[in-house]
Amino acid sequence: MNFSPALQNLIEALRCLPGVGPKSAQRMTMHLLERDREGAVALSRALQGAVDRVDHCSRCRNFTELEICEICSDPRRDSSTICVVETPGDVLAVEQSGSYRGIYFVLMGHLSPIDGIGPEEIGLDLFYRRVLEEGIEEVILATNPTVEGEATAYYLTDMLQPEGVKVSRIAHGVPLGGELEYVDGSTLAHALSGRRPVE
Amino acid sequence: MAGMRVNLQPAYILHSRPYRDSSVILEVFTPEHGRISALARGARRKSRGGSAAALLQLFTPLLLSFSGRGELKTLTAREAAGAAVSLRGDRLYSGLYVNELLVRLLHRYDPHPQLFVAYGDTLQSLAGDGGVEAVLRRFELKLLDELGYSFDLRVDGHSGEAVREEAWYHYHGEYGLVERGGVTDPDRPAYAGADLLAIAEGLLEGPAGPTAKRLLRHALASHLGDAPLRSRELFRSQRSPAPGRSET
Repeated sequence: MNFSPALQNLIEALRCLPGVGPKSAQRMTMHLLERDREGAVALSRALQGAVDRVDHCSRCRNFTELEICEICSDPRRDSSTICVVETPGDVLAVEQSGSYRGIYFVLMGHLSPIDGIGPEEIGLDLFYRRVLEEGIEEVILATNPTVEGEATAYYLTDMLQPEGVKVSRIAHGVPLGGELEYVDGSTLAHALSGRRPVE
Repeated sequence: MAGMRVNLQPAYILHSRPYRDSSVILEVFTPEHGRISALARGARRKSRGGSAAALLQLFTPLLLSFSGRGELKTLTAREAAGAAVSLRGDRLYSGLYVNELLVRLLHRYDPHPQLFVAYGDTLQSLAGDGGVEAVLRRFELKLLDELGYSFDLRVDGHSGEAVREEAWYHYHGEYGLVERGGVTDPDRPAYAGADLLAIAEGLLEGPAGPTAKRLLRHALASHLGDAPLRSRELFRSQRSPAPGRSET
């Protein structure tokens, strides 16, 4: 038996979501049509609205409905310090830590040659111009502590240090509340090599 | 391919990409099973003292167990087999370049035990203080050899005569090295016989170095297809002025 074309279309469309296969898509479709038509309408409106209005901030590349996002246009924030992160989720995480008052630059990924992602794809040319034009004093590299994240951090360091910009990398080591016994070797090695004199 | 179960096989991860909420799909290089794709379930999930992702990083000697029938295996166990090789700057880009070569050129499930050893040695050399170029050339030669694309550096592949020091040679995908005739074709790179003989002797550091680089790039390009190697960009843009830099 075949579903009606509109139904089939919806099932196919839902499959564009990561981790949704044919079966899950079918279940979602049945649920929306049978039990939650209002939810379905709200979902379609929200989707359409987001796709129409949300774009990248022209300064930090984060998602925003404005030309320049709220963080970039906030005059109370320290615009001489810029924190480079991989994803919008990372911005949220740093914001929630409540310990940072500067601005951000969101790469939307990291350098990954095998995936065809080079310096241009993550907006490094834009970032370079911005740092020079705006007289940024410190760049904090908060890319992930993975090999690709490190490669991205090195690339940025090589690009910015000759320009006399202070470049720093976030520390990595033992998580708060963690127990040394259960920390993996590489993390512990990082924590040891990055140790600080007690003040 | 029939169901397979592999127990704690030496392995390096060449590439990983996130999958669903907490898993990753890994491209793994093993000596006996060659390149394998494997799913590491829950590798990005938080656990006490950091997630499994901390171990499943590039350039880390590992012991991995897999099982599964299809193209995509499931990772069932993992252990460290040594300390992660720590690469910085250009050496890190070199490591990414080597990984990209392997992902692009190795076929799945083709065993290459010797290449696996060479890969480990290459990483160790990259982490050392020596020159990077010769290390990469040696690996490229080994890779071509293992894939069955090697060519004789001492013999003209067309005429069968020995390579002469004073002559110039073209690289030809089918024959290997072919002596350049009387006409010089500016579009086809030519290589000095003396340099080729030096490369054959393993002298990759000296004056033959640039020739080795051009020749191997040419030889690899004919097997890589049209898409360029993206890791090379990392080096190239280091050397040329950064984009948007004002002339001073």
